[in-house]
Amino acid sequence: MRFLLLALFTLTTLFISRQARAQWMIGGFMQGHRKASLAIIGSQESYSTYFINKTETKNPNLGTVTTQALTAVGTYGLGYDLDLIVAAPYIRTEASAGYFPKQEGFQDASATLRWEAYDYKLGKKLRLSWLFAVGYSMPIQNYVNDAMVAIGRGSKNWDGRTMLHLKGKSFFITGQYGYIRRGQVTLDHVVNYYDPSQLNPNSGSKVNVPDVTEIIVRGGYVNTWLNLDVWGQQQTPYTKGTDIGPGIPFPTNAVGFTRLGATAYLRLAKQFGLTAGYNTIIDGRNVGKSSQINAGLVIGHWTANN
Amino acid sequence: MQPVGHVTATTMRLFFVRITLGALLVWVAGCSEPTIDEGVLPFIVPTSTDADGGSWKTVVLKAATDISVPQPLATTSAAYQQELADVKNGVLAATPEQNTAVNYWAYGAVLRWNQIARQLVAKYNVAPGYDYATGQTTPAESANPYAGPPYAARVYALLSAAQYDALVVAWRAKFQYNRPSLEQQGVISRAPVLDVPSYPSEDAAVAEVSCQVLAYLFPKEEAFLKAKATEHKQSRIWAGASVPSDVKAGEALAATLAPKVIDRVKADRFGAANDPTNTWQTALAKAPYDQKWTSLEIPARAPILPLAGKVKTWYDSTSIAKLVPAAPPATTSADFQKALSEVRDIATARTRDQSRIASYWDNGPNTYSLSGLWNLLTEEFIRENGQNELRAARTYSLLNRAMQDATTASWRTQYTYFVPRPSQIDPTIKTATVIPNTPSYVSDRAAVSSTAATLLSYLFPSDATKLTAQATEASLSGLYAGTHYRFDNDEGAKLGTAIGQLAVAAAKADGAK
Repeated sequence: MRFLLLALFTLTTLFISRQARAQWMIGGFMQGHRKASLAIIGSQESYSTYFINKTETKNPNLGTVTTQALTAVGTYGLGYDLDLIVAAPYIRTEASAGYFPKQEGFQDASATLRWEAYDYKLGKKLRLSWLFAVGYSMPIQNYVNDAMVAIGRGSKNWDGRTMLHLKGKSFFITGQYGYIRRGQVTLDHVVNYYDPSQLNPNSGSKVNVPDVTEIIVRGGYVNTWLNLDVWGQQQTPYTKGTDIGPGIPFPTNAVGFTRLGATAYLRLAKQFGLTAGYNTIIDGRNVGKSSQINAGLVIGHWTANN
Repeated sequence: MQPVGHVTATTMRLFFVRITLGALLVWVAGCSEPTIDEGVLPFIVPTSTDADGGSWKTVVLKAATDISVPQPLATTSAAYQQELADVKNGVLAATPEQNTAVNYWAYGAVLRWNQIARQLVAKYNVAPGYDYATGQTTPAESANPYAGPPYAARVYALLSAAQYDALVVAWRAKFQYNRPSLEQQGVISRAPVLDVPSYPSEDAAVAEVSCQVLAYLFPKEEAFLKAKATEHKQSRIWAGASVPSDVKAGEALAATLAPKVIDRVKADRFGAANDPTNTWQTALAKAPYDQKWTSLEIPARAPILPLAGKVKTWYDSTSIAKLVPAAPPATTSADFQKALSEVRDIATARTRDQSRIASYWDNGPNTYSLSGLWNLLTEEFIRENGQNELRAARTYSLLNRAMQDATTASWRTQYTYFVPRPSQIDPTIKTATVIPNTPSYVSDRAAVSSTAATLLSYLFPSDATKLTAQATEASLSGLYAGTHYRFDNDEGAKLGTAIGQLAVAAAKADGAK
C-alpha cells in the first residue's frame, strides 16, 4: 500500500510537473525491510486557463496545453525504518494553438530517503508514526527550461519534509509539511529583464528559482485488496519570485497551487495491482489550472495493510 | 541471539543515517536565495590618454569648438587650494556608502550609463498587451507603442553619440588648460584615475549628458536618473579624482550639449514610426512580392513600427538607401520551396543546441533587444582593451549609430516586400522563439549582428575571429528558431556588413588612431 501511495503521489504531481516540477508526494506507509516495489504510471494532464500571478487568463496563441507522462517509481526498504525511493519521468507536452514547439524528454530523476523516526501505539488499534524524508532531484537531460511550453524548469532541488501518519485498522490519515529548496538555473540567454532589486545587467545567465513550502493532507480507506483516498496539496512560494510575462524567465516565477485529488488502488494478485487517480488545481499562482487523470501498474510488495 | 558485533554495526549505521538526515533537514529548511550580483569586478586601467582626443570628429556637434569651456582658476589660487584640501580630507573620511558609490562608478562612466540605458530599455520595451478577458489592449503601466528593436537601437545610439561629443569637448578643454590631475598633487585616490588633466571632469560630463538625454527619452525616470547622476558626480570627489570645480565644469559643458542632442532626437522622424494612420496597409497592397505578410498573432495586430525604415540615419543616407536588397525568390519558385523545406526540417528535428542559439540571440519583447546584447558584449572588449572613457564612448558611438542604421535599413526592406514568415506559409512550422510581428525579409538580427561584428572587428582586431563566429551564429539563429528563411539571414548579413563598413570608414576618418 505504501507503494501504491507512493505511486499515486508520484503520478499526481510528477506529471503536473510542467510547472510544478517533479515534486512527487511521499506517503506515510513504510516499505518494510528488504522489500521492494515498482510502479509504472501514465498520466495525462491539460489546461487552457492559467494564472498570471493569481489572475486567471487564457491565451488564444497557446490554446490548450496537454502534458503526458510516464513515470517509474521504485521503493526499497533499506531497514525497517528506512526506505529509499527513486523516480524518473518521461514527459511530452504540447500546445494546441500558436507556434510553440512540442517538448519531450526525460525530466528530473529523484531519490528520497524516508525515515520513520518514531512509532507509537495508541490503544489497541491505532498507530501513530512520525517520519522525516530528504530528497534530491536533478534533470536527467538538459531540456529547454525557459519556455511557456516546457517539460520542467531545470533546477536541482533538495526536499526536506516531515510527516505525521495515523493508521487504524481500515483507515489512515497523513499530514506532512515540506520545504523544497530549488537551486539556480542557467538560462540559454543573458538575463535582461528589469528588476534592479534582484539583478543587474552583468548578472549573466544564472537565475534563482524560488523555493516553496508544501502542505499535504491525505486520508482514506484501506483493506487488503482496495485502497481509496482523497488528498489536498498546497504549495506556496517561500522566496521572492516573478510573475509570468514576456521577457521574464519562466524559472524565476513564483509558482504555487492548491490541488485536490483522489486515488484508488486495486490489488489483483499478491504482488500486482492497479492504480488510478484524478486531481485538479483549484487555485494557483503562475501555473496552469490543470486537471489530470492517471493510471498505472504496481508490481511488488504492497504493505499499507500489513 | 545476535552476535554483539552485529548489533553494534546495525545500531551505528542507523545512528549515522539519522544524524545525516537530521542535518540535511536543518540545512534544507530556512535558507534564503543566493544573491545574484556582478561580484567584485577588477578595475580597468586605461592604457592610453588620447591627448589629441579634443580634435576628434564629433557627431552631433560640428566640432568640439562649438562648446567653449571657461578657463579654470589657477591651481595656485586660494579657492582651488581649499577645494583640494577638502577633497584630500574627504578621501580620508569616506564612509562605506561613499566607497560603494566610488567603486560602482569607477567601473567606468560610459559603461555604467550604458548599463542603466539597457535596464531602462528592458523596462520600457513593452508593447501594449492583449487581455483575453476583455478583448481589449491592456494599458500596462509601461506599455509603449514604440516598443521594438528600432526603439531600443535609437536609445543606445542617441546616448552614445551624446556621451562621445561631451567627452571630445571635455578632452579638448583638458589639454587646453592642463590643470594637473589630483594624483600629481599628492591625492591618493580610492580608485584608478586616468592620468589626464582633471579639468573639466569627464565623469561629470558623461553623467550630466546621459542623465538629460535619458530623461528626455524616459520622462518617468527623471528622478531616478537625477539621483544616479548626482551620486556619480559626487563619487568622483569622494574618490579623490576631481575637485568640485572640475565637476561643475564637466556638468556645464554637458548641459550646453544636451539640448543640441535633444534637437536631433526630435528631428529623426522616429515619432511617426508607429504609423498611427496605418499607411502600411497601402504599402502592403503595393508590395512587389507574390504573397503578402499577415500577422500570426491571435488576434492579428498591426506590425511593429511600420515606418521605422524612414528614420533619419547617422551614416550616409543615400548609401544606405542603395543597400536595400532586391526581392527574395517568389513563393512559387523552387528556390523558395527549398528554403521553406530547410526551415521545416530544422523545426521538426531541432537540436538542443539550436534551441539554445535561437534563445540566446532572440532578445524579443520586454528585453533590452539585440542591440542591447551587443552593447553588453562590447563591454567585455572595452574592458579587455583598457579603453579610457573617451575611447569607450567612441566605440559605443560608432557601434550604436551603425546598429540603429542597420535596424532602420532592415525595417525599410521588411516593409517594402512584406515577405510572410515561414509559419504563415506552412503553419506546421513551430518556432523556438516567439515570431516577431514583422515581415520576414530581411532578418534584422542578421543585419545588426553583422554590422556590429564588422565594426568591432576593426576596433578590436585580435577578437575578429570570435566576432565573426558570433555574427554567423546570430544570423543563423533565426533559421534555427524557425522564424527566418536562410535568404533572410544571408541578405540581412550582407546588408549589415555593408553598413558596418560605412561605420569602419567613419572610424578611420574621425581623427582617432
